[in-house]
Amino acid sequence: MTYLWLALAFIAAAVIAGVIFARRGGNAGEHGKHWKAVGLAFAALAVLTAVFDSVMIGMELFHYDASHILGLKIGLAPVEDFAYPLAGVVALPGLWIWLTRKRQGYGSRDGEPSLKGLLPQALLASRPVSWINTAYPFAAAMILTTREIDWVLIVGTFYFLIPYNLAMYGINDVFDYESDLKNPRKGGIEGALLQPRLHRPMLWLAAITNVPFLLVLAFTGGPAVWISLTVSAFAVAAYSVAGLRFKERPVLDSLTSSTHFVSPAVVGLALAGADVTPGLLILLVAFFLWGMAAHAFGAVQDIEPDRQACIGSIATVIGARRTVRLAVVLWLVAGLAMLATPWPGPLAAIIAVPYIANCAPYWNVTDSTAARTNVAWRRFIWLNYGSGFLVTLILILQWSITS
Amino acid sequence: MGVLYLVSLLLGIICMLLLDHRFRLFFWRDPKAAAIVTAVGVLFLLAWDLAGIGLGIFLRGEGTIATGLLIAPELPIEEPVFLLFLVLCTMVLYTGARRLLDRIPSRQAERERENA
Repeated sequence: MTYLWLALAFIAAAVIAGVIFARRGGNAGEHGKHWKAVGLAFAALAVLTAVFDSVMIGMELFHYDASHILGLKIGLAPVEDFAYPLAGVVALPGLWIWLTRKRQGYGSRDGEPSLKGLLPQALLASRPVSWINTAYPFAAAMILTTREIDWVLIVGTFYFLIPYNLAMYGINDVFDYESDLKNPRKGGIEGALLQPRLHRPMLWLAAITNVPFLLVLAFTGGPAVWISLTVSAFAVAAYSVAGLRFKERPVLDSLTSSTHFVSPAVVGLALAGADVTPGLLILLVAFFLWGMAAHAFGAVQDIEPDRQACIGSIATVIGARRTVRLAVVLWLVAGLAMLATPWPGPLAAIIAVPYIANCAPYWNVTDSTAARTNVAWRRFIWLNYGSGFLVTLILILQWSITS
Repeated sequence: MGVLYLVSLLLGIICMLLLDHRFRLFFWRDPKAAAIVTAVGVLFLLAWDLAGIGLGIFLRGEGTIATGLLIAPELPIEEPVFLLFLVLCTMVLYTGARRLLDRIPSRQAERERENA
C-alpha cells in the first residue's frame, strides 16, 4: 500500500497545481479544449506505459518491493506506475498554458523574436571539426590515470566535446561579429557569422549548457579540480568577451588559446588525482608550446582583416614573418622537449615534424602575402587528426608498458 | 555494462524533439516556457523517485541492458534521462492534441463557408 499512498500524495499535488495553473492560464473558452487535450494525451500515455513499463520491468531494469504495492498489474506494470504519467499530464500542460498565457490563439504561429536557427548556428559556430581537440586531451589524461571508464569520464568527455566548444566559439563569435563581417574566410569550416539577433540567445545557450557540467565536475573533485576548471572557464570567456579581449593582446592571445586545449587535460589529471611527475610536467609544457604555435600561426592569415578592424594579435604586432618563424621554433622546442620525457614519450617528438614542414615554406612570408598561409592552415586542421592518431598509438603503447 | 537502455532513451528524446521541431509544438514554440516546464517536470518526478527509494519501494534491477552506473543509491544514471523523455513525450502529446482540437472547428467553418 505504501506506493499507493506515495502516488496519491504526488498526484494530489499535481492536480492542485494543474487546476490552478489552467484556471489562471487560459481564458474561459479554452478550458474545455485544455482538459480534452489532457485526456487525449493521457490515453496515449497510458497505452505507452502499459507496453513499455512492462518491457522495462521484463528487462529487469527495476522492480518493486512486493510488500509495498497493491499487486494489481496491467501487463507487468503495477497500476501505481500509471500515476507518473497521470501526474505529469495533469500538472505540466497547466504550467505550460500559464507560462504562455500572453500568446493569443493556440493554433496560430506568431512573430515572436525568433530563436529560429539558434541550434544549427550554435553547432556550426562551435566548429564540430575541432570538437575532438578539447575532448581528447581530457579523456586521454583521465583514462590513462584512472584506467577505467566511470561516469565522471563520460560526463567530462561529453562536456569538453560539445558544451565547452559551444561556449568557447559561441562567445567568440558574438564578440567578434564586427571583425568577422570583414573576413570572407568565416562562414564555413573555420567559423560562422552570427546574426545579431542570436547574440544574446547564444550567450544564454553557452551559460545553460556549461554551468551544470562545471558544477557537477567541481563537486566530484577537490581544490585541484576547482582551480583547473576555473582557469579553463576563465580562459574560454576572457579570450573574447568585451573588456578582456585577451585575443587582441599580443602573446596573451597565444597563451590563452593554448590554455583552451591544455586545460582540459589538466582538469582530467586533477579529476583522476594524478601524481605530478617531471615527465608529466614536460609533456604538458610541450603540449602548451604546441598550442601557442598553432594559435600564432593561425593568426598570420588574418593579419590584414585584423588590422583593418583595428584588432591586435601576436601576428599584427610582430609581423607575419616573425610569427611564422616563432611558430616553427615553438613546434621545434615542443618536439625536443618530448625527447626528455620517459619512454615512450620521446616517440611523440616526431609529431612536431609535419607541423614544421607544413609551416616552414612560409619562413619568408611577408605581411602582404600572409593571407596565403590559409592553405597551410586548412592542412593544419587535418594534420591534427593525423597527430591524434599517432598520439593514440603512443598512449596505447604507454598503457601496455605500464600495465 | 550495457548501453541499450540509455541509447533507446536518447533516441526516444531525439524523436520527440524532431516532432517538436516539425510541428513547432513545445521548445520550438516558446523555448523559455518549455525549458521551465521540462525542468519542473523532471525535478518533480525525480523527487517522487527519491521518495519511493527512501521508502524502500523502488529497487534497481540488474538488467544487462543498463549501464549499472548510479548517481545515488538505487538511482541509475538512466532515470533522469527517462524522466526527461517522459516529460517531453507528455508535452508533445498534449500540445499536439491541442493543435488537433484547434483545427477541427476551423475545418468545419471552412466547409460551411465553401458550402454557402
